[in-house]
Amino acid sequence: MTHWFHRNPLKATAPVSFNYYGVATTPAATKICNDLRLSRTRLLELFTDLSCTPEMMKNATDTYFSLLKGFIVSLDDSSQDSKLRYIQNFKWTDTLQGQLPSAQQDAVFELVSMGFNVALWYTKYASRLAGKEDVTEDEAKEVHRSLKMAAGIFKHLKESHIPKLITPVEKGRDLEVRLMDSYIIQCQAEAQEVTIARAIELKHNPGLIAALSYETANFYQKADQTLSSLDPAYTIKWRKYLHLKCCFYMAYAYCYYGQTLLASDKCGEAIRSLQEAEKFFSKAEALCKEYGETKGPGTTAKPSDHLFFRKLGTLVKSTLEKCQRENGFIYFQKIPTEAPQLELKANYGLVEPVPFEFPAVHAHWTLESLAAFDLTKRPKEDSAKPKPEEEVKPVKEPDIKPQKDTGCQIS
Amino acid sequence: PTIPEGMPTESKNKDGALVDEFGLPQIPAT
Repeated sequence: MTHWFHRNPLKATAPVSFNYYGVATTPAATKICNDLRLSRTRLLELFTDLSCTPEMMKNATDTYFSLLKGFIVSLDDSSQDSKLRYIQNFKWTDTLQGQLPSAQQDAVFELVSMGFNVALWYTKYASRLAGKEDVTEDEAKEVHRSLKMAAGIFKHLKESHIPKLITPVEKGRDLEVRLMDSYIIQCQAEAQEVTIARAIELKHNPGLIAALSYETANFYQKADQTLSSLDPAYTIKWRKYLHLKCCFYMAYAYCYYGQTLLASDKCGEAIRSLQEAEKFFSKAEALCKEYGETKGPGTTAKPSDHLFFRKLGTLVKSTLEKCQRENGFIYFQKIPTEAPQLELKANYGLVEPVPFEFPAVHAHWTLESLAAFDLTKRPKEDSAKPKPEEEVKPVKEPDIKPQKDTGCQIS
Repeated sequence: PTIPEGMPTESKNKDGALVDEFGLPQIPAT
């Protein structure tokens, strides 16, 4: 399978037993703890299970998050936290920063970290589907839907839950705003890529394709720029991907904009637009090579191996030749020295994240079962104190080869 | 990604225009 989309690694986490001897004082309370442990383990297993479907993922996430919510929210609909919010320490690595985890004794940290991985799973699921030889219409819809879902989860975490964390997020960690924004924008841009492919297949108006390509290129540029103030050691590979996609869709935008110019008898300007498309396409090709040679976290996509990539090169070349031919025979127009300014606004195909909400608190949580947790029985010497220096085993992902060196290198 | 095949199957109204699941017009303009 040749990847079209770049994917960063999943977050890894330390096991959590949810054993609270003495604190959980009734069988109902103990059952909640057991269910939490089992549902957490199940969810973590699904992240790397290639046979996992969105339905399986939804069932597993609903179970775990509804149980975990009893550790976060009060059961009486007040805005107060659950008394259990700070009972357990959780450790999570970050997608770009190797095996050294962050640790927080806060169930909200667990909620957002696990939620982040669920969003990543949707992006990886979409990537696997899109990487197949023949993508059917239904699969294309599922790719599109999965990427919108992922964007919605990231957005919800960013807006509604990350601000509730007591401990501020450190620079370069997944939950900080720059990374969250980049992930959201990348998901939107990739979903729009599916739409562009469909618009081309169905021979939609070149103006529509040009505008959507231009807006998609702008999304990639924005995601890239959002990461520019972070340490290149761990962002360079991801940024190369974002940059190459930006150039690729700028090439698309100029190519289809050139077609609209030709259709309105502006052949000279059309030639200039196509020449610009050619430049961006060459740049995208060079960046594909650089990206492939750059070391860093995540999968290495090979966009230039895909037909969708190569077809653009052919289209730009043939459209430019057509314009030049027609200018030599019919129009005799001067070719402008400046490339046309693209001020295109897409009216169709722009992607918005699908609104996401965590499930309601699990039915096992009642005032009675909550009261059965007696915090006065907690051991004095709390062994669950944060020890962030301990490494967490990385997730063995079927799509990602292990890579020790996360430094950057361009050979 | 490989270019998906087929015609739009579902529609919904968006700003008065009929669009498919990808947010594209139901009937291609060209």
